[in-house]
Amino acid sequence: MVDRRIDLPQGTLDLLLLRTVALEPLHGWAISERIHQISSKVLFVQQGSLYPALHRLERKGWIQARWGTSENNRRAKFYELTALGRKQLELEESAWRRLAAAVAQILETT
Amino acid sequence: MLDDLVLRLRSLFHRNTVETELDEELRFHFEKQVSKFMQSGMAPDEAKRRAGREFGGMEQVKEEHRDARGVRFIETLLEDIRYGLRILSRTPVIASVAVLSLALGIGANTAIFSVMDAVMLRLLPVRNPQELVQVRVRTVKSGTEMNGYFTNPIWEQLRDRQDVFSSTFAWSENRFDLAQGGAVEYANGLWVSGGAFETLGLRPVAGRLLSAADDRRGCAGAAVISYAFWQDRYGGAESAIGGNLSLDGHLFPIIGVAPRGFYGLIVGTKFDVAVPICAIALFGKDSRLDGRSTWWLEIMGRLKPPTVPQQLKARLEVLSRQVFAAAVPLDWEKTERQEFLQRVLVGVPAPTGPSYLRQQMERPLYVLMAVVGLVLLIACANIAGLMLARGMAREKEMATRRALGAARGRLIRQLLTECILLSLAGALLGMLFARWGNAMLLRYISTGRETVFFDLSLNVRVLAFTAAVAVLTGILFGVVPAFRSTRVSLTSAMKGSRALGSDTRVRFRPGKWMVASQIALSLVLLVSAGLFLRSLLGLATLDIGFDRNSVLLVNTNLKAAKVVPERRLQVYDEVEAVLQKLPGVISVGRSWRTPVTGYEWNEYVSVDSPSAPKGDDSLVYFNYVSAGYFVTLHTPLLAGRDFQARDTNTAPGVAVVNEAVARKFFPGASPVGKTFRVVNGHTEAGPSFQIVGLAKDSKYESLREATFPQAFFPISQIPGNDDSEYFEIRTAPRPESLIAAVQNSVGQVNKGISLEFGTLAKQIGDSLVQERLLATLSAFFGGLALLLAMIGLFGALSYLVTKRRPEFGIRIGAGSYAGFDSAPGAAGSGDRAARRLGRGPMSCTRHRASAGKPAVRNVRTRFRNPNHCYPGARCCCLSCGLLSGAASDANRSDGGLAL
Repeated sequence: MVDRRIDLPQGTLDLLLLRTVALEPLHGWAISERIHQISSKVLFVQQGSLYPALHRLERKGWIQARWGTSENNRRAKFYELTALGRKQLELEESAWRRLAAAVAQILETT
Repeated sequence: MLDDLVLRLRSLFHRNTVETELDEELRFHFEKQVSKFMQSGMAPDEAKRRAGREFGGMEQVKEEHRDARGVRFIETLLEDIRYGLRILSRTPVIASVAVLSLALGIGANTAIFSVMDAVMLRLLPVRNPQELVQVRVRTVKSGTEMNGYFTNPIWEQLRDRQDVFSSTFAWSENRFDLAQGGAVEYANGLWVSGGAFETLGLRPVAGRLLSAADDRRGCAGAAVISYAFWQDRYGGAESAIGGNLSLDGHLFPIIGVAPRGFYGLIVGTKFDVAVPICAIALFGKDSRLDGRSTWWLEIMGRLKPPTVPQQLKARLEVLSRQVFAAAVPLDWEKTERQEFLQRVLVGVPAPTGPSYLRQQMERPLYVLMAVVGLVLLIACANIAGLMLARGMAREKEMATRRALGAARGRLIRQLLTECILLSLAGALLGMLFARWGNAMLLRYISTGRETVFFDLSLNVRVLAFTAAVAVLTGILFGVVPAFRSTRVSLTSAMKGSRALGSDTRVRFRPGKWMVASQIALSLVLLVSAGLFLRSLLGLATLDIGFDRNSVLLVNTNLKAAKVVPERRLQVYDEVEAVLQKLPGVISVGRSWRTPVTGYEWNEYVSVDSPSAPKGDDSLVYFNYVSAGYFVTLHTPLLAGRDFQARDTNTAPGVAVVNEAVARKFFPGASPVGKTFRVVNGHTEAGPSFQIVGLAKDSKYESLREATFPQAFFPISQIPGNDDSEYFEIRTAPRPESLIAAVQNSVGQVNKGISLEFGTLAKQIGDSLVQERLLATLSAFFGGLALLLAMIGLFGALSYLVTKRRPEFGIRIGAGSYAGFDSAPGAAGSGDRAARRLGRGPMSCTRHRASAGKPAVRNVRTRFRNPNHCYPGARCCCLSCGLLSGAASDANRSDGGLAL
């Protein structure tokens, strides 16, 4: 198996987490799985950084946690986006798009 | 923000829940991962291993999560506290010695500070006390000295003319006798003008307070009582309102109760009852209302809010001219009237209320504060010693913890937390000590004639002070031991032996420093206690010109008995005759005033001699005494005769003078047979008196005075508008044992005579209350310091000895005698202690030099005076004893064991 994973650039983890829980409440494992799958197995969030990041976002009030039942009837902690988090997501998304576009432009023209 | 706070608090208070949830969340993740790997075809074991590898350390994730919770600081603190309590409870003796020393040190500081707070810092418990201004007066002569007393005419002028205060009031203190004859029962009274309570912004607890309408000339009188008086005397019953209160035999209706925290205006006293100024006419003292030379009222005002000091000054200056012009005493001489007109009213901010005690106690309080500060410092050094010794015992623990990766800062923090825990415990216990101490202190400074009262209830300032002292103390005694005991060499500590080659000199330094400074500090305290004791002893053994022992003092008052002025003398003669006959009575004297009460009556005296003293130099202090007075007090008459029955009020005026008068007015000649004239204040000519006797010098106002020139007149010639007289009774048994008999026999003459009892010895003792207070307290604290220093010395020395145990072991092993070996053990400390001992006297010398005496002489005085050398010598002996104790302890070290 060829490992095509790449490390996450600084500061993008928050954006990815917010984006992932924007659609529906998810528990930690599902969040990491979803990021892994949607990025075609390119991005992989280490558990060691996943949970501290989630708890940090929770403290900032961007996501909120709720205990619920998982697919196989186990108690799990689900994270969902708050109104504040949605605003933050929009901000970070547009910032990221502008950054990516700028970087791409530079790479193409030079 | 709020969410954040909620989450933080949650993780603080529901720590276990949060931890379990975290654990559960992580475990869920882990199991999900395992099952995913298993679905992709891995064997269970392999899946678990793989998941574990990917996951990283579960504990590390948790730790990071804990950091993210943001309550790390408090959590660590709680952990430290828990751990600290556990460690402290493992050495209960050391912990309780430390807590006890701290409680004594911090308690002493809290006690003195709360008195300081009550006397100097506390604002009056009234509305906006910072707006209150006391009105005082400055005369041309007095410069910056100001007088705060006014006549009623001045007060009425000021009240009606002023426009700078929103309102003003006047008051005066007075003692009322509540009993109607017999033994007196005094209440502290206040004369107040009608606007007093309103100006202060006070509301009644029950009934109503005095208003302007209650204070009109010719008023019937009304009384407002204090909350404490209401509780003590009436049990707080509503029915007290409307009842009557007898004040000096006059009945006053009680109209209301003042608010609870209001004890009056003057710090150091508390009022029981307040009556309007106009009511003084009911006591037959009309002269007070119209007297233009009767200075008895004090005045306060509440500033109109935007008034600035300059405005106040300007307005009062303008007001002064009008007020003094309208109230000038008409019987004064021209020059004096002119001086009177130039007086200026001054406003002094008085948010803490006026206090005579404040001026008197300010310096003693600063001295005591310094003393207790030193005591606390000694306690700190003490505990630092204990902590160092304990730190040695924990060296291995520290090394282990360092080896396991604890940062040194973290260890120091934990040790400091332990120390602060100790000092907080000490502070709690200390506050208890402070309460007892203060109650004792108040009883101690209250004298027979005046009860001192401070509102010593806890307030934020005192609590903050104590807390700050506790924390600072904890840091102070904790820092050195914490740094030292965490500076461990890991290898040698783990090997279980301390390197013998390590530089002992460096390692011993803090211990030596502490031993020496403790001795020096406690020596300073003991020496100053010696000085205070000496000055008290000096005053107590002074030749005062009379014999204070076995004299019962009885103050009799005819106010309540309603005896007409013409019959007073006769009644007093009857009382004297009755008392003479009592068994146990040796002799009876009578006088208008008794000596050493701080009371004085003086007039200018002139004699027919060109070289006679003039002006203030010619002041003589007067008293009226009976024929038995000198005999009773054992004041010898050196020439001439005592008063006799023929010196009646119709006979020519005679006087007995003391040696000071003779020296001053009749140098080189006998005064007996000469005459002098009393220059009555403001008129030139006054009555003339012939001197019939010369008495030995005796003290008049206080023991500290350079004996005043005094003249005594026969009490039978007293002009007679005072209804009170003193009886001095020299008794064979204890004076107090005659009180009941005296009360009984005076009652046979007239039941309405009020009686107040005391002894001359107590009266004189009371006049030394300040000296006695300083001497006793500094001796007490000096003793306390010594005790603490002894404990500390022992602790510090056993620390030193433990440190050098291997060395002693080697020495003994190498054949040194135990006795011989105690020399180096003690010498190191003894040498240092001796040097510090030298330093103690030096600071003593400085102490005395600051009193303005040349230092060289002081050293000589010091050694000539056994009083001063005593504490030093005692300290020396004690430290030698301790050193030898610790040294012999060192020698007991068994060579093999120590190595």
